[in-house]
Amino acid sequence: MTTPYALVAATLDQLTRYAPFDQMAREHLVWMIERLKVGYYAKGEVVLAPGDAPVDTFYVIKQGIILGEQDVVRAQENAAWLELHEGECFPLGALMSKRGVTSTYRAGTDTFCYELAAADFRELIKASEPFSDFCSRRIANLLEQSKEVIQAQYAKSTSEQQSMSSPLSAIIRREPITCAPDTSLREVLEIMHGNGIGSMVAVDGERRPVGIFTLHDVLSRVALPGLSLDEPLATVMTPDPYTMPPHAFAYEAALVMARHGFRHILVEENGRLKGLISEKDLFSLQRVGLRQISGTIRNAVSMDTLKGSARDIRQLAHNMMAQGVAAEQLTQIISTLNDLLTCRIIELELQDSPVRGIEFCWLALGSEGRLEQTLNTDQDNGIVFNPDDGMDADAVRALVLPFAKRVNLALAECGFPLCNGQVMASNPRWCLSLAEWQDTFAGWIDHGAPMDLLHSTIFFDFRPLYGAEHLAGALRDWLSEAAPKNPRFLHQMAVNALRNRPPLGLVRDFVTGDGHTLDLKLNGITPFVDAARIFDLASGGRHTNTVGRLRELAEMKFLNEQDADAYIQAFLFIQLLRLRLHHGQCERGEALTNKVDPDSLNHLDQRILKEAFRQARKLQTKLELDYQVRS
Amino acid sequence: MSWLTRLFGLEKPVLTPAQAARLAAWRALPEPDMRDPVAASRYVVVDVESSGLNIARDRLIAIGAVAVVNGRILLDDGLDIVLQQAAVSDKDNILIHGIGGTLQREGVPPAEAMLTFLEYLGKDALIAFHASFDEAMIRRAVKVFLGFRFDHVWVDLAHVAPALYPRLAARKRSLDQWMAQFGIGNFARHNALADALSTAELMLALGPAMRDKTVLNMRDMRALERAHRHNNMAM
Repeated sequence: MTTPYALVAATLDQLTRYAPFDQMAREHLVWMIERLKVGYYAKGEVVLAPGDAPVDTFYVIKQGIILGEQDVVRAQENAAWLELHEGECFPLGALMSKRGVTSTYRAGTDTFCYELAAADFRELIKASEPFSDFCSRRIANLLEQSKEVIQAQYAKSTSEQQSMSSPLSAIIRREPITCAPDTSLREVLEIMHGNGIGSMVAVDGERRPVGIFTLHDVLSRVALPGLSLDEPLATVMTPDPYTMPPHAFAYEAALVMARHGFRHILVEENGRLKGLISEKDLFSLQRVGLRQISGTIRNAVSMDTLKGSARDIRQLAHNMMAQGVAAEQLTQIISTLNDLLTCRIIELELQDSPVRGIEFCWLALGSEGRLEQTLNTDQDNGIVFNPDDGMDADAVRALVLPFAKRVNLALAECGFPLCNGQVMASNPRWCLSLAEWQDTFAGWIDHGAPMDLLHSTIFFDFRPLYGAEHLAGALRDWLSEAAPKNPRFLHQMAVNALRNRPPLGLVRDFVTGDGHTLDLKLNGITPFVDAARIFDLASGGRHTNTVGRLRELAEMKFLNEQDADAYIQAFLFIQLLRLRLHHGQCERGEALTNKVDPDSLNHLDQRILKEAFRQARKLQTKLELDYQVRS
Repeated sequence: MSWLTRLFGLEKPVLTPAQAARLAAWRALPEPDMRDPVAASRYVVVDVESSGLNIARDRLIAIGAVAVVNGRILLDDGLDIVLQQAAVSDKDNILIHGIGGTLQREGVPPAEAMLTFLEYLGKDALIAFHASFDEAMIRRAVKVFLGFRFDHVWVDLAHVAPALYPRLAARKRSLDQWMAQFGIGNFARHNALADALSTAELMLALGPAMRDKTVLNMRDMRALERAHRHNNMAM
């Protein structure tokens, strides 16, 4: 039997508008089309139901809408977490793992599907790489394509810059010069001088790095103490130097250097020294370097310098976005640099301040606490302090508040707007002793009033930023004990979180708000953040970062690993869209918002965003079931 | 032998021995049982393009068909055939079906085309929208080019659909209107194959209503169709 050419052509025409068919070789598509059947499902009809038998058909929607429902008992329209449209395929997970589906698939409108026998589906997986790729790494694959598009867009403005996403193995320039740790200092210095190098790596007999010694160390460790040059290198080298694998990316090395103030990082593979990366090597990759910014911040003595650094941070974020640095690293880099900036402001304000004598810790809250800052982040901060014997909390507070006020104002000058909700260290309510914080948190957990719940979502993501970290640690210990003990509180948190739904429509793709826009933060990011926080609190976790929380929950087997991966990718994609949105607004000199017009996204990004919202909906469904929230 | 003499059946068409043998083989095929459930049998949904709407005078230009087997349209069980024409149809007509002069002249020789159609069809039932037109065009082509009366089981969705949905009947008359009712698309309207595919999708979409009214086989469908014709004439 043959398929009439016009049918092949028309089907090709339709399918190649969608991934993965747009990437597949024509011969594979024709092979598939020749094996397709068209089936019809009336509105409400079940296409696939959970069962033990492996799924025997691969479906591509020809026209109509298919809804996936997590749970048969709750099979009502609003229980759908999955909404599939023309050109979309299902059920990939069940087909790939040769099992039955876990969700019920039901026609949302009168729907026609192309159907391919599972045996043919498997043949196609073997034959077509793009198809196999798509089926096994669905979101990941779409993200990949989206990233290529972004990189191409930004490439024009940064073509002269080498990529910060090259692996370290591509940046290592030559074999590092090494010596044994018992080599005399005299010999070491002669080798360094003779070769014109700024550092020496000490290795053992098996070329495992055991220490590093740099020209900077000569002054403080050799010349000033008047050490004999006959001493072995081992007495002055920095032992156990920081190492990274050759496949680590340049930005990761830059991040480590910025965070710890290192000037060199060793590259090690299977325990053997492979090379040495210096800040200069990375600096040459960028005009505005991470390390350069962090160096400027560390040494800044005036607000003007710090304001310049704040601008540089935004510029750097732009460059890195251009180089395709992933959202997770990007938000971490922004957060790391903002941390440094905040620390430096605090250090400057502490000079000659009476607060110097007080043991306190500056807390980052909200998105800063979660290390998820984008370019428009309000200040969210607080202080935990430890009153000296004989001093009461109010007296300490009176001393600390003016200092906190100055820090808040300085941060505002650097482009971190003051918090509208007054969640700032200069607010007496959020400048508390450890005992006061515990009482406050305990009150929220016990009462669970609407404001308490709102505060919990900001404050429970606290993270120490400057000062006595053990105070924050003690507060975290207390919270990880207290939160899981109160299921009513967690239930209320879940109810609260579920008021905010991902904007997926039943008929149209997106349900938009004011002026045909979607709020990427409220409707996109927040469902993931809220769910991860609740699950984390329930399981006594200590992470504050959403990705970190989801990974931890997967490790604890609280979430299925594939599910957690999908949530993380979805979350990071929405973050990336936010960063791109903010960057565009910055460029055009507009106010930064989280509202995006879905029509302004390319087709691919629209698809991924939909998929990401679906993942949010799926995560919320788990929340609903775990906490018995009726929708 | 002119086309006109064939048209009036003055002369029997001459088939090659091979063609005659193929025709004999087709005619010897067993007739299917019209009581077989629609959901578990094969039927063919067809649409034709012609040089005009006059059944007596206009010529068959193309046949498009898809088969439905066990309730699924099989993309690899379709037919799209253009009949070779002695005279190309006029320009307005070409604009409707999009089959240009060259394509009409390069088509399959008519006897061969009709044999191919019959072999593709087997003895399975035929379904069309406004089937009487398709039936008349195909009957005449079979008569002229193969020389026998093509008496076959036809079912007309233009009567079945309103009979199943009486409340929609007043507003839904054309294939386009019924397609819109079920959200059915069409990749190239007025292309025989594309229209056959849309008609086949309409047939599938009528499935639930047919099951509700226990219209389960071709005989039931024909009965429903006859009743609807009768009622409409009485009105």
